[in-house]
Amino acid sequence: MSDIFGISVSALQAFQAAISVTSNNVANASTPGYSRESVVLSAAAPQSNGTTSIGSGVNVISVTRAFNQATNNQLNSSQSSLGQLNALQNYTSQIDNIVGTTAGGISTALQDFYSAWSDVANNPTSAATRQALLGKAQSVANSFGSMSSQLNSLNTDINSRITADVQQINSIGASISKLNQQIVVSTAQSGGTPPNTLLDQRDKLVSDLSSLIGVSTTTDSNGALNVFVGNGQPLVLQGTTTSLTTVGNPFNSSQLEISSSTAAGNVISGAITSGDLGGLLAARTQAIQPVLNQLGQIATAFSQAVNSQQNAGLDLSGQFGANLFSVAGPHAVASAKNTDNTSVAVSIANVGALTSSDYVLTYKAGAYSLTRSSDGSSVALSGAGTVASPLTADGLSIVVSATPASGDQFLIQPTAQTAGSFAAVLTDPSKIAAAGAVQTSAANSNAGNATISSGTVVNAANPNLLNTTSIQFITPTTYSVNGAGSFAYTAGANISLNGWQVAISGTPAAGDTFTVKSNAGGTGDNRNALASANQQTQGILANGTISVNGAVSSLITGIGSEAQQVNTAQAAQTAVNTQAQSNVQSVSGVNLDEEAASLLQWQQSYQAAAQALKIGSSLFQSLLTAVQAA
Amino acid sequence: MRVTQSLNQAQFLAAMTQLESNLSKTQNSISTNLAFNTPSQNPVAAGSVNNYDQALAQSQQYDSNSNSAQTRLSIEDTALSQVQTQLQSLRDLALQANNSSVSSQDRTAIATQAAQIQNSLLSLANTQDGNGEYIFGGFSTNTQPFALTPSGASYSGDQGQRQVQIAAGQTIADGDNGDSVFNQIKTGNGTFLASAAAGNTGAGVLGASTVQNPAAYDGGTYAIKFTAANTYEVRDSANVLVTSGTYTDGQSIAFRGVQVTLTGQPATGDSFTVAPSTNQSMFTTVQNLVSALQSGGGNSAAQAKLSNLLGTAIENIDQALGQTSNTRATIGARLNSITTQQSVSSSQQIQLQSSISSLQSLDYASAITTLDLQNTTLSASMQAYTLTQGLSLFKYL
Repeated sequence: MSDIFGISVSALQAFQAAISVTSNNVANASTPGYSRESVVLSAAAPQSNGTTSIGSGVNVISVTRAFNQATNNQLNSSQSSLGQLNALQNYTSQIDNIVGTTAGGISTALQDFYSAWSDVANNPTSAATRQALLGKAQSVANSFGSMSSQLNSLNTDINSRITADVQQINSIGASISKLNQQIVVSTAQSGGTPPNTLLDQRDKLVSDLSSLIGVSTTTDSNGALNVFVGNGQPLVLQGTTTSLTTVGNPFNSSQLEISSSTAAGNVISGAITSGDLGGLLAARTQAIQPVLNQLGQIATAFSQAVNSQQNAGLDLSGQFGANLFSVAGPHAVASAKNTDNTSVAVSIANVGALTSSDYVLTYKAGAYSLTRSSDGSSVALSGAGTVASPLTADGLSIVVSATPASGDQFLIQPTAQTAGSFAAVLTDPSKIAAAGAVQTSAANSNAGNATISSGTVVNAANPNLLNTTSIQFITPTTYSVNGAGSFAYTAGANISLNGWQVAISGTPAAGDTFTVKSNAGGTGDNRNALASANQQTQGILANGTISVNGAVSSLITGIGSEAQQVNTAQAAQTAVNTQAQSNVQSVSGVNLDEEAASLLQWQQSYQAAAQALKIGSSLFQSLLTAVQAA
Repeated sequence: MRVTQSLNQAQFLAAMTQLESNLSKTQNSISTNLAFNTPSQNPVAAGSVNNYDQALAQSQQYDSNSNSAQTRLSIEDTALSQVQTQLQSLRDLALQANNSSVSSQDRTAIATQAAQIQNSLLSLANTQDGNGEYIFGGFSTNTQPFALTPSGASYSGDQGQRQVQIAAGQTIADGDNGDSVFNQIKTGNGTFLASAAAGNTGAGVLGASTVQNPAAYDGGTYAIKFTAANTYEVRDSANVLVTSGTYTDGQSIAFRGVQVTLTGQPATGDSFTVAPSTNQSMFTTVQNLVSALQSGGGNSAAQAKLSNLLGTAIENIDQALGQTSNTRATIGARLNSITTQQSVSSSQQIQLQSSISSLQSLDYASAITTLDLQNTTLSASMQAYTLTQGLSLFKYL
């Protein structure tokens, strides 16, 4: 008889526990990281009287959490990818907005600049059109400057976010290692009963960590979790944390890299490809630096073309034109890890061959090698690196100050700093070279009908360019230059001397004289202004195949494509992540309707057990009454 | 599949944020009338629009260049039409003076008028445009190109000719230099000049001179010498006899492809020269005319001398007129190509604008439809949320 009481009481206790667990589920329905718990019931060992065996009630074996490591790992990895794309998208969309449809105003400024050249060509002596040109030159410089400073401020922003991320990663790592210690102790003390709440907290931290940096984990037999980042560098091992730190890039101390004391060479930035941190590093190398480099390439080519045309013409006072723009040359820096003080000086040998990539020059085992950063390929070098025989590759000319120590590395950024340094330096409108350097004339006494072309400058650096030269025909088919020599005359063929080139066509008579001389005083001449205006459509970049505006257009398209591609990837990853979340929720989440049903179930069970107790009691009462009556 | 309330909530919020963001993008497009506001919305179109924008700006700049060239050419054309008028008056004066009945006072008066025309021509040759540039100075547009000298006029300009870009790859000259317009004018008939020797004592007057056979004329200088009043011989510059004959009044003398006509009676020893044409300034021609008018007249020999000088002057004025009208013809041709180019460029601009607009302008019909759809989706999803949120088993406990 007493077993009825025993059974009923065990049932009442079990169902009470079950109702508590269910209530706890309801209470934590919105708690992040909480895994639904359930009681595990088991029938108590039966009592046997030899022939029959009657159960002796119910026992609560344990309270387990609904958790699936594989599903959870999936969520964590999708969290990492999404974190990476979110961070990257933040920057690509900012660049997308900065650039806009006019490359941050650069393309408009360039159009205005070339139009202003045309206006000068239409009216070369007017101070007003010249002043307007200087204004437009200033706007071009301003738009390059503002774009590059906005991009550089993104770099600064990335540095501060990297610092914040690393701090947070370290603090989460520390929390995980502390939880590891508690879990190991708690598991041991309770004889293997899982400390659900601690496990939930730890899994939540790993999930949070995943959105910051891609992680991989292993679980030890004692319940401790080990967390690895990058190429397997440990962040948490059992109860200890190896903190990540930020260090300056060996080539550029203002650019922060991630370092772990456990990695060879310490810097592990290259291995961090996911999570918010991975996104920040990717934004720097994939989104910001290429744009700065391309802008710099455009600025370099543009300013060189404009300046060299300026230098080939004459200004209002008959002097060769002064530079309109100035830009910084290539930037070269030795690695902080180099063991000696060798430096490299880099200059641009051929703007047309210039790329928008950075390069790393390495000296090893007595030979130089150059790696193009954009595609990681090795570039063939020629020359010895001396002033007499500089190393040349991709339009660059590299001079090394002394033979470097083996293993020395140098970062070469041909155009990265150019856009920021781009400036309009000419302030005197009369110094704009609108006129060609030479002018030609036919003597009025010429009897033939031959005419001479207006003359073009092919080498403005020739010191004799402005010397007066007379071409005199000895016979209708031969001519002398400055009274000397006898050259065969071909109608329409170019005659080149002293850096200029003219063509005489028609039929000259013996004694006819043509003169080529300095165009000083030819203030109404616009040939150089015309040539400058025509640069608008001339191929200047990529070996003369792409115009400045064409390069701006492809910059716009490139930035747009990159942003679009990241947007698409982010949207796709968001969907993947949502799916992973619902998978995890499907396993571990709390559905209130389900809990309500459970509550009802346990309530009914509890009521039934209570009834059983009541029946037991009444049975006992009946027996007592029967005994008393007897 | 277990769906939990907290996931439900989070997903609804994410979906609503996305819908609202899409709605705001569409709204932004409608209010800016742009199909895309950032390159990422249509990278290829953004690049193309930038290229088209440049082509359009360039085409508009070519129009403005054309206008500037048009203005300058019109100023030049007006100046040259006045030069023509002046030269025509000068020619009339020379014809009027070339008559033995004109008294020496009348000739002096005519000379005064001719000198005035010389001044008008000078001021026309020094014409300035609206910007104060001398249009006939070549490249030296800030220096007054012409100044009178005792023998004509000096030229301080150069032979530069400014070009203006009126289309891609097409430039036209927006003027002509003073040398080519005023100075490089062939004398005589353009091939040779027949003139009387200064010391002639007879009354022989040169008439029409023509090139009979251009191939036969070697560009040499020949002298027609009268060995007797009715006998002439033609010798070349090396004094080699070319031809000889007897002379009657009004006779044509032809040799080496050229032909000159003589009237009147030359005296023995008189000579006439046939020399290749050279370039002579218009101002020298006028100056020579003025000097001839001031000095000539009197007996028959002096009258013949005057007639010969006036004849040369008229021939040279005709050359100047021809040169001026040739220049005006090229100006006309340039103005024509500007007009042609302007119409080409305006249709080009329409084409470019429509290309830009087809890429960049918003298709309102589809944008409004999209807006409507997004609106409907958003309100439906809000409604669905409130409906499902009301569902809970706890309500029935």
